[in-house]
Amino acid sequence: MRAAGIRIGAIVRKEFRHLWRDRRLLGIVLLLPIMQLLLFSYAISFDVKHIPTLVVDQDRTAASRAYVSAYAASGFFDVVGQDSQTSAVDTVFARGDASVAVVVPAGFGQRVAQDLTPQVAVLVDGSDPNAARIGAAYATALNASLSQKATVTWTTREGYDVARSGFLEPRMRTWYNPDRNSSIFLIPGLIVAIIAIVTVQQTAVTLVRERDLGTREQMLVSPLRGWELMVGKLLPWTLLAFADIAVIVVLGQVVFGLPIRGSLWFLTVAAAVFVFCSLGMGLIISAVAPSIEVANIVGLLGSFLPGFLLSGLAFPLASVPWLLRAISYLFPARYMVTISRGVFLKGAGWAELWPQLALLSAYAVIAVALAVLLAKRRERV
Amino acid sequence: MTAVETVDLTRDFASLRAVDALTLTVPEGSVFGLLGPDGAGKTTLIRMLATVLRATDGDASVFGESVSRAPSRVTPRIGYMSQKFCMYPDLSVAENLEFFGTLRGVGRRDRTSRSSRLLTSMGLAEFADRQAQFLSGGMKQKLMLAATLMHEPDLLLLDEPTTGVDPVSRREFWGILSDLHVGGKTVIVATPYMDEAARCTDVAFLDAGRIRQRGTPAEIIGRVPGALLEVGGPHRAALAALSGNPRVLSAHVHGDVARVLWDRGSSAEAVAEVQAALAGLDADVRPVAMDMEAAFTFLAEVPTR
Repeated sequence: MRAAGIRIGAIVRKEFRHLWRDRRLLGIVLLLPIMQLLLFSYAISFDVKHIPTLVVDQDRTAASRAYVSAYAASGFFDVVGQDSQTSAVDTVFARGDASVAVVVPAGFGQRVAQDLTPQVAVLVDGSDPNAARIGAAYATALNASLSQKATVTWTTREGYDVARSGFLEPRMRTWYNPDRNSSIFLIPGLIVAIIAIVTVQQTAVTLVRERDLGTREQMLVSPLRGWELMVGKLLPWTLLAFADIAVIVVLGQVVFGLPIRGSLWFLTVAAAVFVFCSLGMGLIISAVAPSIEVANIVGLLGSFLPGFLLSGLAFPLASVPWLLRAISYLFPARYMVTISRGVFLKGAGWAELWPQLALLSAYAVIAVALAVLLAKRRERV
Repeated sequence: MTAVETVDLTRDFASLRAVDALTLTVPEGSVFGLLGPDGAGKTTLIRMLATVLRATDGDASVFGESVSRAPSRVTPRIGYMSQKFCMYPDLSVAENLEFFGTLRGVGRRDRTSRSSRLLTSMGLAEFADRQAQFLSGGMKQKLMLAATLMHEPDLLLLDEPTTGVDPVSRREFWGILSDLHVGGKTVIVATPYMDEAARCTDVAFLDAGRIRQRGTPAEIIGRVPGALLEVGGPHRAALAALSGNPRVLSAHVHGDVARVLWDRGSSAEAVAEVQAALAGLDADVRPVAMDMEAAFTFLAEVPTR
């Protein structure tokens, strides 16, 4: 056992020497995660605020002005223009100057004054479905709230007590991320994707390189065992992955105000297991890839796609097609995203997340064992 | 004592039989040369002996241990140097030795002392900190040999260690092999160079996976019948004049002379007879000593005595 430890140590030292000599790779491994974090956090923002809005007020009464100013006051809509013709909406949408238009027809004020139901039109540019959906939802909520206010005003004036009418009033609260800040939501997932990319990619090429160099053959005539080689390859990258995790967490806290509400200790253990899963995946690719180029491409696909699309990082897995959802169970990323969000945002720990951790652990053991077996198949043929 | 023994050792690659029912014994302490053209099966044989390639049929034993059944008992006693450069290009000479020594189970103190002793004896000491990728061809081969020697194996399996290396480095390399031989090591070395065969204690000539000739260099040379002569001057005309002559066992152009194997007689008699046969041509006929290259060339065409 001691001899095995010495041999594994030799592999680890060698791997660090390779990395240290390859400054470009070192730079990629240490700086790429930071760049990815900043890019993704700012670029993949699902926050929709300040929707550019065109106001077409054909009524021009005090009532219409009060109604329109409610939009600007909400903070969700920025009134970027005023016009009196509905035909202007098309032009403004086509130029992309606004994605919502509020049309108040003539007679609006009059109908309000007569206690008749006034009508307004809210037009939404559907070419950006996400912004359209959110814009429409905001507008609906805003109008519901204005109508409710009008109802209350009218009933009070007429001498009714609304509170006695069985009026249903839902009180919505958003937990864990009350501002629904999307970078807070994304960063715990991004940590997972970035780790997957760094580790899968690097280990995917590592065994292929040993084979190409002929050094694998020298290892075969030494007492080094297959699993010792795997562990020796995994350890340095586990350390590097943790360096990356630390950088991202600190950056997330300082720059984006990411909270850590749960057990950091649990997160560390889970992250270590997840890193082993990713490395195991990389080693499997390495064991079967015929060349460095193939290993590189498969490593990239095997980390990027599951990391971003099949992990629940950006899109809720419940809303992806069933086939993709089924595939997502085959990749460790989805379990780790659940763990990461649970710990960072929901204050979860062992008690709540142990099933995910158990799955990850099983995955890690199977992946590394499979890698050892697959690599063995190609040796001493 | 026998270092290596193979019995009906066979290896197929798809439809190609690279090593064909090869039976061979290599005595301990010999420098055994595996000769033969590219594709003769030298590399396949060496890789099977090194346990990195499985035999299709038959078996080989190294110091009495089977390479197929007990590879882990074979590998500690062998050093294997592949044809391709197999050190880490981005690690220094010393770091490569350190790594492979550690992998082979050499203790820290021995690693340091052996590494510096090997590097000094091979003239690599001043390059200890140079990355392996920046070494010359000859130095790369010496580094590989040094790495192979770190765990002090009893049997060295060297696959064309001097191919593509300049003549001076080749001579140096063989100097190191001689020292190892004197030190009692067994060396099996594949080489395409016939001049290197003369430096072996034992040689086998491989062709199409089979052994065609086997013996000491002196035995191999002794097997060639007749007398070897060199014909200078109008050597192409001389070859034409001699063609069809029943007493010519073999005749070739060799550089700017012709080499003729005359069927019998002492050198002096043969010279006289050939001069008579070439009467009218201003040819210069002289006897030359048989070397390994000539011996293998002729043995390939002439039935052995």
